[in-house]
Amino acid sequence: MGSPIESWDGAEAYFTFAHSSGMTGLFLAASVAIVAAVVVVTIKHENKSFARLNDKVPESLD
Amino acid sequence: MEAELATEVANLKAAVEMSTAVNLEVFYWWCTTVMVLIHAGFLAYEMGASRMKHTLVAGVKNILALAFVIPTFFFFGWWIYLAMYNGLVPDFAAGAAGRPWDMAMGPNLADNASGVFWAAFVLFAATTASIMSGAVIERIRVSSFIILAVILGSGLWILAASWGWHPDGWMTQKLGYHDVGCAGVIHIVAGFFALGVLINLGPRIGKYAPDGTPVTIRPHNLPMVLIGLMLIIVGFFGFLAGCAIYNGSGQWVNIYNQPMTLSAYAFNTLMGLSGGIIGAYLITRDPFWMMSGALCGIISSAAGLDVYYPPLAFMISFIGGVIAPICANYLEKKGIDDAVGAVPVHGVCGVWGIIACGVFASGYPNMGEGAADVNLLGQTAGAFIMVALGLIPGYLISLVMKKVGMLRVPEEAELRGLDDVEVQWPAYPESSVHGVSDAVDGQVTPEPATS
Repeated sequence: MGSPIESWDGAEAYFTFAHSSGMTGLFLAASVAIVAAVVVVTIKHENKSFARLNDKVPESLD
Repeated sequence: MEAELATEVANLKAAVEMSTAVNLEVFYWWCTTVMVLIHAGFLAYEMGASRMKHTLVAGVKNILALAFVIPTFFFFGWWIYLAMYNGLVPDFAAGAAGRPWDMAMGPNLADNASGVFWAAFVLFAATTASIMSGAVIERIRVSSFIILAVILGSGLWILAASWGWHPDGWMTQKLGYHDVGCAGVIHIVAGFFALGVLINLGPRIGKYAPDGTPVTIRPHNLPMVLIGLMLIIVGFFGFLAGCAIYNGSGQWVNIYNQPMTLSAYAFNTLMGLSGGIIGAYLITRDPFWMMSGALCGIISSAAGLDVYYPPLAFMISFIGGVIAPICANYLEKKGIDDAVGAVPVHGVCGVWGIIACGVFASGYPNMGEGAADVNLLGQTAGAFIMVALGLIPGYLISLVMKKVGMLRVPEEAELRGLDDVEVQWPAYPESSVHGVSDAVDGQVTPEPATS
């Protein structure tokens, strides 16, 4: 499925889906989306952690 | 008989070419491997420099810098290097091989070079981001740090490299800018980017007494800091070797295609390392600054590593080791809380190194028709450009983050300890009480900064 070659003779770019710009574009876009999404998830995680903190800060730290 | 000989010669030629290509791969593979030690070092260094309650988040931040710079450098960093050497107008034809969908950007039997060169540059990029990382420990939000690390590591440094660390870069050609070991394109850019961020981020809580006197916040594990710094220095040998171009069939050249030897780097890296340690020892007698002094020394000599007489490299680095702690104290008194001295070690020593190269290495011929020779004016201008390329974006981007409230953690989180708040796990569970790590972590000792 992913092989762009049928023989190693004369093979050059042989990475998976090298013959399909649609598929490489798909994986590239998915990678970009994951990187961006994890930044968003990190922001949300931090906001949640900091909000939760308001409920448990010891009085001495107020 | 003649035909057999011709075939034999052709086979031998092909074998030599293949061997050269494979040797190139092997060389940069191991340079990259050694460079990974820089990140092991930064990890130990920053975790050790943090107070106990922030240890793990300092590590998380450092690990994520490496993790996020790698893919983003694949997405656009390599393209910036190849395409932007003229300034701000890209050369799309030259940049084509750096597009993430290009046939060179993946396994390719006709291209042994792209992957290993890309990898070496990625490790340079991650190093740049990690330089900023230590300065901002204990109070920056991880999310904003990731964004800043990507902008610095996959954007700004590589733009600087395209301008001044590229044989056709406009700074190389027009200014005669010479910076073989990246004193400017990495260290100045990263150091001054960190300064821009620190201005907006502000100091750690407790860093300054009510009357404004700086308070020393000690690392919770100084031995780990020292080991980390030593690992960074080991990694720098891979880093600097990776700055040389392996030719296979001819003499080594530097990034500007000027002939050089690795022996030159060996002489001057070691003499620089030594000069920096001795300079910092003379001024501080402080083990932290002695090891940082080694970095100061390497950075101070980096620009002219290929041409310096070794005792000159020692002297330049000695001065770097002396000025960095002095600058650190100055910045501290001005309200800049740089937890690891990133601005003086990388930024200030980088500036000193670039200008010193102009003072002592003027006149070395550049490559390419009409290209300027190495000269003091070009080096000085180059240092200013690198400062601006780091400081202005670092300041403006962090200012926007500050305005929208996403730059710094809340005060309560900083006081409680980021490990408890963000990873909900103490670094040393057997020596702290979960939830009240403040009770056992390193004490903040009010004492005046050393002068």
